[in-house]
Amino acid sequence: MKRHVVCKVAELPPGERRLIEVEGKSIGVFNLHGEYFALRNLCPHQFAPLCLGKVTGYCESSPVGEFRWAREGEIIRCPWHAWEFDIKTGRSIFNPHKVRTKAYPVTVEKADESAEPHVEVFPVSVEEDWVVVNV
Amino acid sequence: MKIIDSDVHQTWANPDEVMKRLPRYFRAEKYQIPGGNYVNPVSVGRLDAQGPNGEPPGGSYEMMRDQHLNAQGISAAILTGDGIQGLGVHPHAEFAKALARAYNEALIETWLTWDERMWGALIVAPQDPAATAQEIRRLGGHPRIVSVLMTSATRIPLGQSYYWPIYEAAAEMGLPVSVHPGNEGKGISNGFIAGDPSTYLEWHTNLPQNYMGQVVSLLCEGVFEKFPTLKFVAIEGGIAWIPGVLWRLDKNWKALRSSVPWLQRLPSEYLFDHLRFTTQPAEEPERPEMLLQLFEMIHAERTLMFSSDYPHWDNDAPRHAFPRMPDALLARIMHKTAEETYPFAKAERGAS
Repeated sequence: MKRHVVCKVAELPPGERRLIEVEGKSIGVFNLHGEYFALRNLCPHQFAPLCLGKVTGYCESSPVGEFRWAREGEIIRCPWHAWEFDIKTGRSIFNPHKVRTKAYPVTVEKADESAEPHVEVFPVSVEEDWVVVNV
Repeated sequence: MKIIDSDVHQTWANPDEVMKRLPRYFRAEKYQIPGGNYVNPVSVGRLDAQGPNGEPPGGSYEMMRDQHLNAQGISAAILTGDGIQGLGVHPHAEFAKALARAYNEALIETWLTWDERMWGALIVAPQDPAATAQEIRRLGGHPRIVSVLMTSATRIPLGQSYYWPIYEAAAEMGLPVSVHPGNEGKGISNGFIAGDPSTYLEWHTNLPQNYMGQVVSLLCEGVFEKFPTLKFVAIEGGIAWIPGVLWRLDKNWKALRSSVPWLQRLPSEYLFDHLRFTTQPAEEPERPEMLLQLFEMIHAERTLMFSSDYPHWDNDAPRHAFPRMPDALLARIMHKTAEETYPFAKAERGAS
């Protein structure tokens, strides 16, 4: 697994996302309430750019006739067919075991630990942490 | 492989492009295409198809060119408008006709001049078949108009003689007549036979119900005996229902043939000769290969044409929507049947 610096923590505030290219793959990096997650930008259905979809919640129900909105901000819907995926795991809501996209671990690291060459494109500041996706 | 896309929804960044061509009286009256109770909760337009300058999905030519035509390798796209066929369920026939004329002129003067891959479907108002026949004769000869398009949602089943002036004009101009769904239960059209469902999910799932009724009507009323050169394109109405309806109809015809004495052959034979169906939204059976079994049942090599429905929420990518199939069948679906259905060759004749 290789580390890829995405940006400074301050550049990806809660509720926002960033698209990056790593080793020829398009990957979406998300900040959910201060936690970071990364998904392959590819829907398993018809290969649409999943990470361009709407970030939202979803509706749960039990028993029949009840509607309960849940997990606001933790669900992404494909911009084509609106299939729902869990941003934290890449798994679909309707069939989490079989229908899913790749999720990558994201870590937050001290600036001075990130010796990637392209780190240099950012202004160096030892006080600030980096968001690092591990592909 | 060459890909012809039978259903691409374009619009204009600025709606005035159509409205400025509408007579001032109708603009002043503020008539609108009828909406309805069923709103798509995830938005009908693909969210990644919004244009760079805030254009609605389908409203930016550059975006459609890059994101769809180039990226998916589409060599010809039939432009079907963005819900404009819904003018056909407006209660005011004069408005419907005027809006159709304004739209058709805007289409011809803008989109159809922007890219050699763009072809047009002439939108018509079934509220006034005689006037619609005039519109088909007025613009149907344009070298880049290859179809006549109206809403599949009706007051009267599509086979009945009420519509025949439209079919006569289309056949005369060498154009197929196409129908597109989306207006079922809206405006002056009928709803579904079971009644109004609760959700968009149900409403959208039920759209093939209407197509069943329309196809049975077209076959039984003798439209294809009356107009033997006419082709009829059923866009976006599904295909999995076709075998069941056809087998039932053929079986009934053997006993009840005298009800429709003008039919010389099994109803299914008229369908295979005259009806064409577009693929999107591609049905996704339990096992993908079941779709190929269905293709065999409906003679897909003659009846099926690829469509994407770009840029809508349920659009299909030509390379990912179908199971693997023989190249010859794929070529029929991707372009050959469309080349036999739409008069593309007239553009070359017009240019020479």
